[in-house]
Amino acid sequence: MYFGQRLTRREDDKFLKGRGRFVDDIEPAGTAHIAFVRSPHAHARIRGIDAAPARALPGVLRVLTAADWQAAGLGALTCVHPMPFSDGRPMNEELRPALASGKVHHVGDVVAAVVAEDRYAALDGADAVAVDYEALPAVTDIARSLDEDAPVLHQRFGSNLVFEIERGDRAATAAVFDAAHHVVALTLDTHRVAGCPLEPRAYLSRFDEATEDITLWATSQTPHYLRRWLAKYALGVPEHKLRVISPDVGGGFGLKTHFAVEVSTVVWASILLGRPVKWTSTRAEALMSDAQARDHHTRARMAFDRDGRILALEVDTIAALGAYLSNFAPSIPGNSYPQTVTGLYTTPNLHLRVRGAYTNTVPIDAYRGSGRPEATFVNERLLENGARELGIDVAEIRRRNLIPAEAFPYTTPVGRAYDCGDPPALFDKLLEIAGYEGLRAEQRRLGDRGVRMGIGIACFLDKSGTGSSRNLASRGGLHGGYESAIVRIHSDGRATVFVGSHSHGQGHDTTFCQIAADRLGLPIEDIALVEGDTGSIPFGNGTWGSRSLSVGGVAIMQAADRVIDKARRLAAHMLECAEEDLLYENAVFSVRGTDRLLGFADVADAAYHGAVLPADGSMEPGLEETVFYEPPDTNDPQAMHLAVVLVEPRSGKVTVRDYFTADDCGNIVNPLIVEGQVVGGLAQGLGQALMERVVYDGGAAGQLFSGTLMDYALPRASDMPGVRMTFQETPAPSNPLGVKGGSETGTIGAPAAIGNAVVDALWDLGVRHVRQPFTPDAVWHSLEDAAG
Amino acid sequence: MMRVTLDINGREHAAEVDPRMLLVEFVRRCAGLTGTHVGCDTSQCGACTVHLDGIAVKSCTVFAAQAEGHAVTTIEGVSPDDGLSPLQAAFKEHHALQCGFCTPGMIMSALDMIRRGAATDEQAVRAGLEGNLCRCTGYQNIVAAILAGAAAMAEG
Repeated sequence: MYFGQRLTRREDDKFLKGRGRFVDDIEPAGTAHIAFVRSPHAHARIRGIDAAPARALPGVLRVLTAADWQAAGLGALTCVHPMPFSDGRPMNEELRPALASGKVHHVGDVVAAVVAEDRYAALDGADAVAVDYEALPAVTDIARSLDEDAPVLHQRFGSNLVFEIERGDRAATAAVFDAAHHVVALTLDTHRVAGCPLEPRAYLSRFDEATEDITLWATSQTPHYLRRWLAKYALGVPEHKLRVISPDVGGGFGLKTHFAVEVSTVVWASILLGRPVKWTSTRAEALMSDAQARDHHTRARMAFDRDGRILALEVDTIAALGAYLSNFAPSIPGNSYPQTVTGLYTTPNLHLRVRGAYTNTVPIDAYRGSGRPEATFVNERLLENGARELGIDVAEIRRRNLIPAEAFPYTTPVGRAYDCGDPPALFDKLLEIAGYEGLRAEQRRLGDRGVRMGIGIACFLDKSGTGSSRNLASRGGLHGGYESAIVRIHSDGRATVFVGSHSHGQGHDTTFCQIAADRLGLPIEDIALVEGDTGSIPFGNGTWGSRSLSVGGVAIMQAADRVIDKARRLAAHMLECAEEDLLYENAVFSVRGTDRLLGFADVADAAYHGAVLPADGSMEPGLEETVFYEPPDTNDPQAMHLAVVLVEPRSGKVTVRDYFTADDCGNIVNPLIVEGQVVGGLAQGLGQALMERVVYDGGAAGQLFSGTLMDYALPRASDMPGVRMTFQETPAPSNPLGVKGGSETGTIGAPAAIGNAVVDALWDLGVRHVRQPFTPDAVWHSLEDAAG
Repeated sequence: MMRVTLDINGREHAAEVDPRMLLVEFVRRCAGLTGTHVGCDTSQCGACTVHLDGIAVKSCTVFAAQAEGHAVTTIEGVSPDDGLSPLQAAFKEHHALQCGFCTPGMIMSALDMIRRGAATDEQAVRAGLEGNLCRCTGYQNIVAAILAGAAAMAEG
């Protein structure tokens, strides 16, 4: 049994020896390179583009603009998860243009593309394209985006509003607030961050003039989506002539899911030129073009009874969507956020309003956590402030509000049913590994010596394995929630597994083969995994929303089971016995009560030879099965964090000294990999909490300040505390593996837990809130404000 | 254009290059050694770390032409033909990599740290990794792997 084993990863050796194969590592002879001309303005009218100086440069092959795109009759990039207004009106949809026409709407908007013999010539060409801009006033601050006097990005909508939704019951919630014993109200913004996988995005497209086949190597978490979107929406190429290969990919975290603005132009240029064309993003381009995340302005209130029980939650959020709508963007504040905002508590009343809005910023889309970090920050910050104001310990108030195990499946005020779990038991595990009482005693001791230690907690849930397709469609989705897999047994009895998921750090080559090996009864060494190639995999909804294992993993399991079913039928025929009399163990079929044996490899050999199959034609030759697995529902991983911080009030510096996590992500296939996902996610959550922030100037110019990794601070080894983890395994009822997503809880909980810890450390100085990220500047200002 | 000849992993590589070509680009495009990666434009990430005369440098901060006359060692040059080096084996054992993109730079930096005797304890290793970014692992397992790798190399 491989399930549950801490196997080291099969994919590691190639990476450790520098033998990974990433998109930028591939360069066929004759490859031309693209450089993009990008807007230096946040908002401007394009009065003219003069490409002649670029065309005159040596090595420049082609300059492409929106006029060329339109002349070629090409389509638009797409948004596959629209979010209508609550009253049914469609959202105000402005899609991201491959090449901006008429106006630019954010710094980094693509205005032209220069194709040249090599990268240097392309960059020189891009520098030589003269664009005449008429700068317009910009709005980059989400809190100001819907003001009467805010500059409007897309005039045809009359304002920057994309959609407005309400969830819960406004009147009932208002009545509860009016009568409540205690109410906490806070402004709880979650700032804008950039996903920053270490490998920048890259695309290489090769057009074969003889066959008219296009092969695209892409840094994609969803190669089948990319093929469909290019074919259906942008370029109109036949889907069967376009093969998308996503080889080794250096991290994704969501943003390599999206229909990026540059990829269509790369493919189009390769068709126009009849030669391979490549673009590899620089980091500076990534920070002005990769979809960004979060960026909520929220005012929220929580009502309590005298015992600290939550009576109601009221949330009013403006969610930035950027200058245009990226693929999944509206669904994040529209679905993920409301569905998780009451977290793991028995909050009976909710009223939530979300308004999506355009700003002159890079488009927003899914990034690890996606809607849940914003929701958790609101819920958890209000709860801890409430506890302190009521004089109830923050652990005790959670015990009074956590959903008990027997209440599952538990339906929230937004109508979402959480599948299973035991939050009170998980909470006990967290407090136990953290030594909560001891930490409080230490806090008092240190406090006596003038050292400000803070303890913060967050309890929350994730939303993983997004499905079914029907459920997705009911919430506006125009894409599927299923996954496909092929298990192919070769004539020597070894296997190749093909699946529509994509691993870019998650270790599928190990985890998925652990599952396949168990189901096939083969040693894991006899199984190979293929992902990321539309040429060999039936279809894939890809890897996002922690769906790979609970959807793709189950597809593999079911295909393997069907293979064994057929092998058993064939073995029974060959051994001239009834199927029920066969035992299958360690790749050998044996007839119960006899010494007659038949190896799995012999059955496979016979299946491919074909001659020994039943003469009545009741069995086809070959040994391979395809499954399209549709999950019945989403699953609900749960987690709890406890952060211990030290705060220096004079400088405002926050140090996270210790961090404890308790996760319930269902059954665990490989603990080594799951632990890695927890700590890795946590580093990104800690980054958001303490240092990462996309900064625009906030004024009418709308300039981007965080344009390189010198300005956009990613956490380094010395920023991370040691992390202690514990797990509880409540099997998910919605899939036969009993698994749930396990990789997003780190980003979801850390801003809330660390924020609560910072406020805990400074509460007696009058600090009630610190804005994110909790930089020395933010903490210092909170202290100044508290001192009045 | 100018002709640049470099000693990379003990082998001579010559090419006509643009004078602005960086060492990392020469390594990747002219020598075809794609284990060395580019993760930023501003020498923050360390994915391009190689050894120049045995010292770790970020190959995006060196022009290819400047490396003439020096011995360049890349991840391919410190990897045994069969199996893994003790440090690489420690990375695997401790699950110190996920996407694998930063990994060659981490190995090259860690080797330098270990050879300098600077990988003494957790705090020293965390400080020693100041020039290398990893976006996947949260560093915990990388730190453990480097300490284990240092111990294995000391026993060597």
